[in-house]
Amino acid sequence: MDDRRKPRTTGVVLNPMKRTGKQLVRTLILGKPNTVLYPEEKLDLPQVYRGKHALDFKKCIGCGNCVVVCPNDCMWLEKVEDPELGKIERPGVDLGRCMFCGFCAEVCPTVALHMTTEFELADSDRENLRLSPLDIRDDSFGETFVEEREKRLVPVLDLSKCDGCEKCAGECPEMCIAMMPIENTGRKKPEINLVKCKSHGKCAETCPEKALTMTEVYESYFDMPEPKLILDNCSGCGLCARKCPSEAIYMLEMPGTEKTLKNGKKGKPKKRAVFVLEKCVGCGRCYQACKFDAIDMPGVRK
Amino acid sequence: MNLYQFCYGIVHWLVGLVNNIWYWLGDFLPWYFGDLFTAIGNFAASEGHLWFMTLLVESVVVVVIALINVLNFLWIFRKLSGRILDFYGPYYVGYRIGGWLQNLADGMKLFIKEIIVPTKADRLGFLLAPVIFVGSSLTILAVIPFSVDFGISTSESGEYVSAGALFALAAFSIAPFAILLAGWSSNNKYTLIGGMRSAAQMMSYEIPLILCAASVFLLAGSFNFVEIVDAQSGIWFFIPLFIGFVVFLICLMAEVEIIPFDLPEAEAELVEGWTTEYGGMRFGLFYMTTAVRSYAGGALATALFLGGWHGPSFLPDEIWFLIKAYIVFTVFMWLTWSVPRIRIDQMLVFGWRRLLPLAVLNLLIAAALKSGGWF
Repeated sequence: MDDRRKPRTTGVVLNPMKRTGKQLVRTLILGKPNTVLYPEEKLDLPQVYRGKHALDFKKCIGCGNCVVVCPNDCMWLEKVEDPELGKIERPGVDLGRCMFCGFCAEVCPTVALHMTTEFELADSDRENLRLSPLDIRDDSFGETFVEEREKRLVPVLDLSKCDGCEKCAGECPEMCIAMMPIENTGRKKPEINLVKCKSHGKCAETCPEKALTMTEVYESYFDMPEPKLILDNCSGCGLCARKCPSEAIYMLEMPGTEKTLKNGKKGKPKKRAVFVLEKCVGCGRCYQACKFDAIDMPGVRK
Repeated sequence: MNLYQFCYGIVHWLVGLVNNIWYWLGDFLPWYFGDLFTAIGNFAASEGHLWFMTLLVESVVVVVIALINVLNFLWIFRKLSGRILDFYGPYYVGYRIGGWLQNLADGMKLFIKEIIVPTKADRLGFLLAPVIFVGSSLTILAVIPFSVDFGISTSESGEYVSAGALFALAAFSIAPFAILLAGWSSNNKYTLIGGMRSAAQMMSYEIPLILCAASVFLLAGSFNFVEIVDAQSGIWFFIPLFIGFVVFLICLMAEVEIIPFDLPEAEAELVEGWTTEYGGMRFGLFYMTTAVRSYAGGALATALFLGGWHGPSFLPDEIWFLIKAYIVFTVFMWLTWSVPRIRIDQMLVFGWRRLLPLAVLNLLIAAALKSGGWF
């Protein structure tokens, strides 16, 4: 037989009336309705809300990853002169085209770009929605909350100080540092396997030249491209090193390539570029800058 | 002093005032015009004309009071539904009086909208249906007095319409005809289904409603509202006739067509039911008239079962009457926002298998009480 109870007056009429009566007492006598009266009071938005952008000028390195990743092409790099920082390039946003996906904030390698909880962005003029870097500048916004991007301590190499003593490779408990010779330079450079690295920091402690420093690096959610040098084409002009926003390219001399000058003396040796991939943010500016096709970077538009 | 005498005094004073100016104007005119002026002035001061004007003023008073009450009712309706459904309801228009002016603002907005008649609609019926609906609903209020002194009476002595309750019930049940007319003439499937449902629904609730009212007439021994209320000076009829009271309230909800019984305008199934093709102030009139009918229904339940204007004497009788009508309306609204709408077949089964036997039982109880000599 049918196990369901037949609905009776109590279940159909009186119980619902009890429920609504309780609700009425709760909203009319004991408290207030759930509504947020918007213009007078605002909803307490969570930090992950994606509103207007905020840019920390001091953290931003001007790499332009945000410009590259933006699916709507609504960001651009603008040349700005700052009394403190000098001539720099910083991104601007066109809010009229922005779809607030938050990729720019996620791809930022130094977490200088944030999305604030400000959502009242309407304007009667389309031009006012084009925000220059100075409009979205907010150097102190990052301090107002706890950053949730994953970060880890990794040793970062300053190649100009390194003399290739191999002490770091000997100290590493995970055996993740290997001294690799740099082609044509006669020097060695520690290659750090960041996948295996457990942030013990022994390499930085033992380094006699203080070339390795433990630095907090934010994990990237994106698979960034890496530059590769084609040594035969490199003329050693150093344009890529000047263009690199994260100073990951070092120009090293190649001994044995000195030309003999007319007066019999030897000239300066040729130079070549060396990449320190722990520092690289994958922006592709070196690839775009190189005039001799000496850098290959698959996945970056020229 | 009852309402008739009060209005008669006003009319008398006004006619005297106007006549003074009128005769004074007539003095400036040649004799043949002056005689005509005097004749018109004499007619205006005659007893028959004064009686007629008094009736008009009385109706205006009743309609104005009804419309103010309608504003209150709509406000209670929106506010209460808001609180039950966890939002504020009207808030900003008339901020200090709880958003009371919102309905006035909505009415003004509806007034400036265009009146659209569908091309293939039956034009006469389409335009006539709202008139019948609104007119019949306002006619109910003509016979319901707020107190012995406050109501449209037929004569100077304060006698009321002798079969007022019957007239109110009859005027109440004209509405399904208007709804059917509107549904048919709109030439739309939704409106037609709505109108037909209204007629089918009337089959189920009208008979229990009349039977419950009949039990009250049996106990009171009169169709006159004043005598019915006077019969309740000892004990209100909803105590001995409790079954009848509940059945009457349920049938009244069906009569007023509010949510558990709003089959003719079932928003979920028929777009807006029989009002689908109506826009602008016609829709506003339907909306308003639902409140008028709620008000009339509350007043009817109050007069028949809740002791009318009887109550402790620290408040005037009229206020007691209104308080009771408002309480009935509030209970209606509470029920409206608690229960879902019933189906049309459930409505018929409910009406014929549940309400009708209960109403007959209630009538038997009333007959037993009457023949037992308690009333």
